[in-house]
Amino acid sequence: MLVLTGLLVAAIAPVGLAGSAAAAPSRLPGTVEVTLDQSQIETVVGQVLTVESRIVNSGQAPTDRLVAHVNVVSLNGVYVDLEDWSAEVTQAASPLAPGNSRTLSWKLHAVNAGSFDVYVVVLPAGSASAGATPLVVSPPVHVTVAGRRTLTAAGSLPVAIIMPTLLGLLAATGRYRLRRRG
Amino acid sequence: MTVNVSERPRAVHGGERPVRSRDPGWRIVAEQECRDLWVSGRGPVLVFAFSVLLSVMTYLAGTNQVLNFLEQREAVNLTLQVAVAVGVLVTLVVSADAISGERERGTLESLLLTPVSRRAIVMGKLVAALSLWLATFLVSVPYVWVLGRGVSIVGPAILLGLLVGTLLAVALSALGLLISALSSSNKVSLAVCFFLLLALFAPTQLPGGGPKGWFGDMLVRLNPVGAALRYLTAVVVNGHDWTRDLSYLVSPLVTAVLAGGALVIAGSRIVRLHGGVSGE
Repeated sequence: MLVLTGLLVAAIAPVGLAGSAAAAPSRLPGTVEVTLDQSQIETVVGQVLTVESRIVNSGQAPTDRLVAHVNVVSLNGVYVDLEDWSAEVTQAASPLAPGNSRTLSWKLHAVNAGSFDVYVVVLPAGSASAGATPLVVSPPVHVTVAGRRTLTAAGSLPVAIIMPTLLGLLAATGRYRLRRRG
Repeated sequence: MTVNVSERPRAVHGGERPVRSRDPGWRIVAEQECRDLWVSGRGPVLVFAFSVLLSVMTYLAGTNQVLNFLEQREAVNLTLQVAVAVGVLVTLVVSADAISGERERGTLESLLLTPVSRRAIVMGKLVAALSLWLATFLVSVPYVWVLGRGVSIVGPAILLGLLVGTLLAVALSALGLLISALSSSNKVSLAVCFFLLLALFAPTQLPGGGPKGWFGDMLVRLNPVGAALRYLTAVVVNGHDWTRDLSYLVSPLVTAVLAGGALVIAGSRIVRLHGGVSGE
């Protein structure tokens, strides 16, 4: 029995080791962490928000080239078109030496009312690490955007009517007087 | 300019004492030009058309769901940019017609006979063209106010629009007058000025604000119109301090100084009975 168990272990062990070696992520060229400078923002539609992300290489080896991408996720089903929120959703970062960090600034335009989470994900972009290493995601910033309807027809209509009417009357009067004079 | 022979030559002919001899020549020309423009000319009609344009825009901004999406600062900025752009356009059109138009209507000869220097003539015409810019800007003030009330940007936006727009208007009016004086015909002058304006405005309408990076930024800064509008956006929409992006105003300022300087220096030589650059 012992012999059989020994044979079984001997037969399985190399396979198990090989399996765990394949499943384990490749060795990261440096360990990257990303954090955001805020955790909660309350604003109104139309305002521009600035969120700063800090990418730190907390490992012992330099990182490869990195790409950071910001994303906005609606928590209450509002459709989010990322291009409306930010003109620059992806930024590149050069390799970071161990212990070094880089701060990237993200300008977001709050174009929808609702409840959103904003986060930044950092991806390896070097030829060796692209697609082979896991993504690093920041904690989210919770953004609450209140709606606001600022422009109304009632407010703009009087000016839109009075100004041309007044100027048209002035122009017509001037022409009429000029014609009568000569 | 309609030369009122009974008025101006009376000041100089037959040894009569000039009616307003102490007034500098440019002021007399400017007064006469303004009278022509505002009493019997196109000024009131142009300003009326301008107000119709702003009314349509303002009403759409207040009612249209897509435009209504704009935040107040953006709505103010949009109106301000249209006010500056169209105001400068009409100023340029009046400048483009100022000398070549008189030449074709046969009134330049009478004007040249008056005892006013040619430099004073171009300066007077420049001032008259700028009066149109000031009128269009005054008309735009209520629209900016109605779109921006409730937020503390109306005052700064109007002040900035006036300063930046005046700088642009001086630059482009001076260019327009130079082109008008040097053009062989009024058609050529108007066509060149329209082309110039299109070339300057087209980059501001590119989707996404045009090319990015240092080259794109340099292109924006080199274009006086693009740079001036970018400065307005930076202050009115992005809330930057008015001193932070002043470098954008370098190209409008340089254009105004160069074109204005060229007009002052060459004014006495380029106002001639015959157009073109080859001489009399």
